[in-house]
Amino acid sequence: MSPSASSRTYSHFIPLILGVMVLFAYYRLEFIQHPTLGSLTYPQAALERDAQKVPLFDADGNALLDERERPREADLELNGGQLLWFVGASLLLLGVWNLIEPRLDATIAILVSLLGTLGVAYFVVFGRTYLSEGATYLGAMGVGFWALLCLSALLLIQLALPRVTPSPYFKPSRLLGNQEAVLLFVIVILLVGVGILNPRFLAERNLLDILQGNAYIAVAAIGMTMVIITGNIDISVGSLIALLAVISGRMVVNDVPIVIAWIAPVVLGGVIGAGIGWLVAYLRVPSIVVTLAMLSVLKGGLIIWTNGERVTDMPLGYYLAQWKPLGVAVPIWFMVILSLVAILWMRYSGLGRSLYAVGGNKEAARLSGISERTVVLQAFALNGVFAGIAALLYATQFQLIQATPPPFLELNIITASVVGGVSILGGVGTVLGSTLATILINMIRSGMVFINIDPFWLKSVQGLLILITVLADLLRRRNQR
Amino acid sequence: MNVSTKKTKKTIQDRSGKKQLGNGLTSREGVLFIIMLVAMAVLSTQNKNFLSTSNLLNQVRLLTEVGLVALPMTFIIITGGIDLSVGSIVGLCAIMLGYSWQEWGLPLPIAIVICLVVGALAGFVNGLLIVRVKVPPLIMTLATLAFYRGLAEGISRGRSVRGYPEWFYQMGQGDFLCIPTPRWGMDWTFQGMNWTFQGMDWTFQWTWCGEPAPTQIWLLLIFTVLAGIVLGRTTLGRTLYAIGNNEIGARFSGLPVNRNLLIIYTFSGLMSALAAYIFVSRVSTTRSDMGSGLELDVIAAVVLGGTSIFGGSGSIAGTMIGVVLIQLLKNGLALSGVASDATIVVVGGVLVLSILINNFIQDRKNATL
Repeated sequence: MSPSASSRTYSHFIPLILGVMVLFAYYRLEFIQHPTLGSLTYPQAALERDAQKVPLFDADGNALLDERERPREADLELNGGQLLWFVGASLLLLGVWNLIEPRLDATIAILVSLLGTLGVAYFVVFGRTYLSEGATYLGAMGVGFWALLCLSALLLIQLALPRVTPSPYFKPSRLLGNQEAVLLFVIVILLVGVGILNPRFLAERNLLDILQGNAYIAVAAIGMTMVIITGNIDISVGSLIALLAVISGRMVVNDVPIVIAWIAPVVLGGVIGAGIGWLVAYLRVPSIVVTLAMLSVLKGGLIIWTNGERVTDMPLGYYLAQWKPLGVAVPIWFMVILSLVAILWMRYSGLGRSLYAVGGNKEAARLSGISERTVVLQAFALNGVFAGIAALLYATQFQLIQATPPPFLELNIITASVVGGVSILGGVGTVLGSTLATILINMIRSGMVFINIDPFWLKSVQGLLILITVLADLLRRRNQR
Repeated sequence: MNVSTKKTKKTIQDRSGKKQLGNGLTSREGVLFIIMLVAMAVLSTQNKNFLSTSNLLNQVRLLTEVGLVALPMTFIIITGGIDLSVGSIVGLCAIMLGYSWQEWGLPLPIAIVICLVVGALAGFVNGLLIVRVKVPPLIMTLATLAFYRGLAEGISRGRSVRGYPEWFYQMGQGDFLCIPTPRWGMDWTFQGMNWTFQGMDWTFQWTWCGEPAPTQIWLLLIFTVLAGIVLGRTTLGRTLYAIGNNEIGARFSGLPVNRNLLIIYTFSGLMSALAAYIFVSRVSTTRSDMGSGLELDVIAAVVLGGTSIFGGSGSIAGTMIGVVLIQLLKNGLALSGVASDATIVVVGGVLVLSILINNFIQDRKNATL
C-alpha cells in the first residue's frame, strides 16, 4: 500500500496544498463569502459601497446588501462560495488519498467529471436566473469562474501525477491524460466560449436540447463502440435504425399493442445483429464488406417495402421519446443510464473484458481461452440491440417516421465512436468517450447556430473540429509513449 | 505474428499460381469474371436491349466516375488504408470548377485546372496528415469527408451553377472516335419452359467504326491501363503490396513508404477531381451535394473485385470487373423492370455471395496446394 520513498515526490502534495489554499480562502477571505461574489450585475452599487466604506458583513456575520441587491439574495444562495467549499473538501480528500496511493488517475478522472458537471449545473442555474432578469453574462460568470478554476486545477494535478515513467519536465500535453478528459475539456471550453458570445446558449432548455438531439446517436454509438473495440466495424447501422423504426411504427399503426411495438425493434435488431455477427465470425467475411452489403440490402429493402411512404398517425401513448420524467426527456435518461451500464459492464464483466482482449490481440485472447467467434458474434448482437433501442427513440420522437434513414447517420455514429477515442484498430476505447463525443458534436452544431456562423459552413467547421480532436488525441498518445 | 506469416504464405502461393494457366479461372478475378458472365447471361434473357452496344456504351458513361475513383482506391486499400473522402472531394472540386468560372470570372479551361489542383491538394492534405502525423486513414478521411463537403456547401451556399458553354459537355456527353462493333442479329427469347429461340439470325458483322464512343471511355481506358501497369510492373506498385502486407517490414527494407503513400492519396484526390469534371460535364450542372455516397459505391466495387480490405492483395483487373459488374447489375435489373431501389438489394446480395464463393474456392485451392 505505502509507496516507496523515492516515488513520493513533491507532486503528491499538490492536491493537499491546493485544498488547504482553497479552504483557507473560503474561511479567511471575507469577500469570497459575500453573496455578490463575482457578480458584476450591480457594479455601480458595489462602487458606491466601496466609496462609503460600508462593511461587507454585520456583527453576526450576515452579509450586508444594498437595497438593489436585497431582492436577489435568494438567488445568490447558490453562489460560488458553496461550490468552493465543496471543491476544497474534495481536494483535501484527494490530497490525503494521493499520499496513501500515488496512482490515482481513475479517481481524478471521476472527480474532474463530477466537478465539471457541477460547474455546468451552476452555469445553467445562474444563466437562467440572470437571463430572466436581463443581466449580463459576466454576472453569471461568478460561479462558473470558480467551477472552471477547480476543473483546471484538477487537470493540472493530473499533469503532475506519477506515471509509469514520471518525467521531470513540464509537458502541456500531459494536461489531458485521456481522450475523455480532452472531450470534457473541449465541451467546457465551448460552453464558456459560446456562452460569452451568446449567453442564451447556456439556457437550461438549450443544454437539454443539445443532450436530447443526439441521444439516439449516443445509444447507437455504444453498440458501435463495442463492435469497433473487437476490431470490426458496422456501416449498416444507419439503415438498420431506419428499418427498425419503420417496423415499430407500422406495427403500432396496425393495432399491435404499444409495448410490443416498443420491444420488437430491440429484439429484431438483436437478431439482425447476430446474423451479421455470424457472417463475420463464422464465415470469415470482413465486417466492412458484410455491413456494406447489409447497408444496400436494408436500405433498398426498406424503400421497396414502404415505397418511401412515411408512417404517421401513431396512437398517442406511443411517443416514448416525448415523455419527460422528472423534467428530463426520455432519450437523455436512456443515453445516461445505458452509457453507465455499458461502461460498468465493459469494465467488470467477463464478456466486456474479452471484447478488449479480442480486439487487442486475437492470438493472446485465443490462448487465454476466449472464443473469438463467440465474442464477435455477441458484440454484433449487442450492437443490433443498441441499434434497436436507438430506433425506438428515433421512431417515437416525432409525429412521423421517415422511410429513409437520416443522411450520414452511420457516419455520425462511427464519428462519435472514433472521436470518443475508440481505436479503429481495436482494443482501445470507452463508451464514456463515445457518449461525450456525441454530446460534443451536437454542441458544436448548436453553438455555431448561436454565434451566427453561416449554416452553410456548419459542416466544414464540424469536420475541422473533429479533426482537431483526433489530432489532439494522437499528439497526447505520442507524448505519453 | 501468426497473422503475418499467414499473409505472406498466401502471396507466395498467389505468385506461384500465376504461372500456371489452369489457375487463371480459379483466381479471384477469374471467379468474379465468371460470375459477371453468368449475371450478364441471366440479365440478357430478360431484356434484349441489355446486351446492345449502345446500351453498354451508355453504361460506360455512367460508370466512368466510379471507375476512375476506384483505381486509386484499389491502391489505397492494398496498402491497408481507406479513403472515405472521395465523394466529398468530388463535391468540392465540382463547386470549385463552377464557382471559379461563374463567380470569379475565370476562363473555363483555367477553372478545370483549378478543379484538378484543388482535388490533388485535398488528397495531398489527407496523405500528409496520414503520413506525418500518423492519423489512421479511416479517421483522417472520415474527418475530411465532413470537412470537404462542408467547404463545398460553404463556398456554394447551396446554389447550383449551370449554363456552361457547349464545348464543355464534350467530356461527359460527347463522343470521341468510335469503337469497332461486332453486330450479330440475335433475338432469342425464352418461351415458358420451352427453350426455343425465336428469329435466330446468325449474321455476324464486324464494323470497324460501328458506334461512336463516349469521350470518357478513353480516359477510363488510359487510366485503367496505366494504373494496372503501375500496380503490377513498377517498384511503386509492388511497394504498395509490401506496405499492405507488413508496413514496418517495408520501412525496414528501405522502401519509401511515406512517399508512396503520399503519392497514392494525392492521386486519389486528383482522380476524384477528374471524376468531378466528368460528372459536371455529364449532368451539365454543379451542386454541392454531388458525389455524396460515391465512396461506398467505390469501396463496394473494389472489395467486390477481390481486394482484401486488410490490405496486401488485390488487382486493378478485379476492381474494374467489380465496377462493371455492379453497373451491369443495376442496369440489367432496371431494364427488366425492377425498381431502382430494389437493385441495390441485389447488388448487396451479390457482393456478399461473390465474396463467400470466392473465399470458398480460394480456401479449397489453398487446401489442395
